[in-house]
Amino acid sequence: MNEYIIKIDNVKFKYEKNSDYAVKGVSLNIKEGEFTAIIGHNGSGKSTLAKLINSILLPSEGRIFVKGMDTSDDTKLWNIRQTAGMVFQNPDNQLVATIVEEDIAFGPENLGIEPEEIRKRVDDSLNTVGMYEFRKRPPHLLSGGQKQRIAIAGILALNSDCIILDEPTAMLDPSGRKEVMETLKKLNAEGKTILLITHYMDEAVQADRVIVMDKGNIKLDGTPKEVFRNIDEIKKYGLDVPQVTELTQELIKEGLNLPSDIIEVKELVDILCQ
Amino acid sequence: MPIKAENIKYIYSEGTPFRTLALDNVNIKIDQGEFVGIIGHTGSGKSTLIQLFNGLESATEGRVEVDGILVGEDKKKLKLIRQTVGLVFQYPEYQLFEETVAKDVAFGPLNLDLSQEEIDVRVKEALELVGFNYNKIKDASPFELSGGQKRRVAIAGVLAMKPNYLILDEPTAGLDPAGRNEIFHQIKKLHERSNVTVILVSHSMEDIAKLVDRVIVLYKGKVHMQGTPKEIYSEADELERIGLGIPQIASIVRELRNRGFNIKQGILTIEEAKEEILKEVKRRNV
Repeated sequence: MNEYIIKIDNVKFKYEKNSDYAVKGVSLNIKEGEFTAIIGHNGSGKSTLAKLINSILLPSEGRIFVKGMDTSDDTKLWNIRQTAGMVFQNPDNQLVATIVEEDIAFGPENLGIEPEEIRKRVDDSLNTVGMYEFRKRPPHLLSGGQKQRIAIAGILALNSDCIILDEPTAMLDPSGRKEVMETLKKLNAEGKTILLITHYMDEAVQADRVIVMDKGNIKLDGTPKEVFRNIDEIKKYGLDVPQVTELTQELIKEGLNLPSDIIEVKELVDILCQ
Repeated sequence: MPIKAENIKYIYSEGTPFRTLALDNVNIKIDQGEFVGIIGHTGSGKSTLIQLFNGLESATEGRVEVDGILVGEDKKKLKLIRQTVGLVFQYPEYQLFEETVAKDVAFGPLNLDLSQEEIDVRVKEALELVGFNYNKIKDASPFELSGGQKRRVAIAGVLAMKPNYLILDEPTAGLDPAGRNEIFHQIKKLHERSNVTVILVSHSMEDIAKLVDRVIVLYKGKVHMQGTPKEIYSEADELERIGLGIPQIASIVRELRNRGFNIKQGILTIEEAKEEILKEVKRRNV
C-alpha cells in the first residue's frame, strides 16, 4: 500500500491565464489515516487545493497523486473521486434526492453496483453517521448538521478512503458543528483519512495535524500545539488562535509559569488548579 | 418607537404530517437604539421571527407592531415597513449584481422616488457607515472585492434605505476570522454612530458575547431566556442542554469555578479573565 494517500508535488495553479497563482508551489504529503485541518484566510488557496486533490481543477504546474493515481490522468478521474470524496459548505447544494436513503444510493447506483450491495452500503453508511432512523425522511426537513452527516454518508457509500470537507460547519449551529466533528473523529478512528478545511480554530485543534495557508503558500505545518503557539504569526495571516491559547500567553506575559502550547481548556484548568 | 411582537404563533405545513409550530407564544419588545442578539439552535424559529418583523411572513396568531404600525393590517404599508426594518440575509453577497459598488447600493433608493442628489448622498453615507472610503470604492466592481468587503457593500445597500432597524442574519458565516472581525468592528461602529437598532442573529457565541447589550435565546419556538450576555452565559449548562454553546472564555471560567478556583462568574473577555486569574493566583501564593 502507499504510505501517502495524497502526494502533492510542487503544484501551482491559476484560474486564468493572466491572473495570479492561487496556489504557488505547494508540496504536501498526507498519510493514510491522518486527520489534517487546513486553515487560512478567504482566498488563501485552501479550497483551490481541495479541488485540485479531487481533480475538479488540474494543476497548472506540478503533479498530484491520490493513492498513486495522477489527478491529470482523465482515465482515473472517477477512481480518484471515489477514493477522495468531497463535502461542501452548503448542505442544500449537495443533496440530490427527495428521500435520504435514495440520496445515499445515488453514488453507488452510478457505479453500477448490485442492488443488494447498494442496500447494504446505504444502511452501513447511515448507521456510521448515526442517521439510520432518518432514512425515509426528505432531506430538506433535516437540520443542517443532519444534512451534512447525510452528505458524509453519501461518500462513505462509495467506500472512499479519504474525505475532504470544505468548511462543512460554516452554516451550522453549535450542536450541528459538534455532530459533524464527532462523526469525523469516529470515521478517522475507523481508519478514514480526513482533510478538513475550516475557519474554526476549535475544530482545527482536534486534528492530528494543522496546515496554515497564506496567499497560496503553506506557512505552518505541524501538530496543533506546534502551530497555535505562534499567535502573532497566525494573526498576521488573518486567522485566530483559540481563546485559551491567547489567555495562556497573556498570563505568561504577566509572569505565570505556564507552558506556551496550551490549546485546550482542560490543560489550562488542570495546571491552574494543581 | 419599538418593534413589538405579541403572543406570536407561527405554524407551517398546516394540514400535513410535517405540521410544525415554529413560534409558540412569543412576546418580544425591541427598543429604538438597542443592540440585540438572537441565538438558538437550527429550527428554533430565529429566521421565522425576523421575517415577521419586516412583513415577509405573517404570523398565524398574534400581532407584530413596527414603530406603531401593525404589520400585515394594511398591505400598502408593507413597503414602508420593509424600509423601516432592513433585513440582511445570509450570504448577502450573492445578491450583488451591479457593475459598480455605487450602483449596487443605489438600487434600493432608486425605487423610492428620491431625487438623484438625495440618492447620491445616501449611497455615500451608507458606504461610509460600513467603513469604506467612498471615492476609492464607488467605481469598483463588487465582484473584485474580498468576502468581507462584499458583505459590507450588501449591508450598505440596506442602510441606504435608511432603516430604523437593521437585522443581520448570520452576517459572518463562511468568513475567515479577519473578515469576521472586520464586519463586527464596522457594525459596532455603525451602531455607535447612528441611531439604528441592530438585531444580530448568530451561531457564534463569542461574537454575541462581544457585541450585544441584550441576548434573546429561542428554543423550540419559544423565548427561553433573555438578559445581558453576562447573565445568559452564566447559564452554561442550560445553554448546552438546548444545543448552544458558550464562548471558550466562559467555559474556562466555569471549569475553574467547578474545581474550587475562586473566580467570579460572568467573565466574557480574555482581559477580564486574565485579571481575575492573576488575583486568585496571588491569593493562593500568599
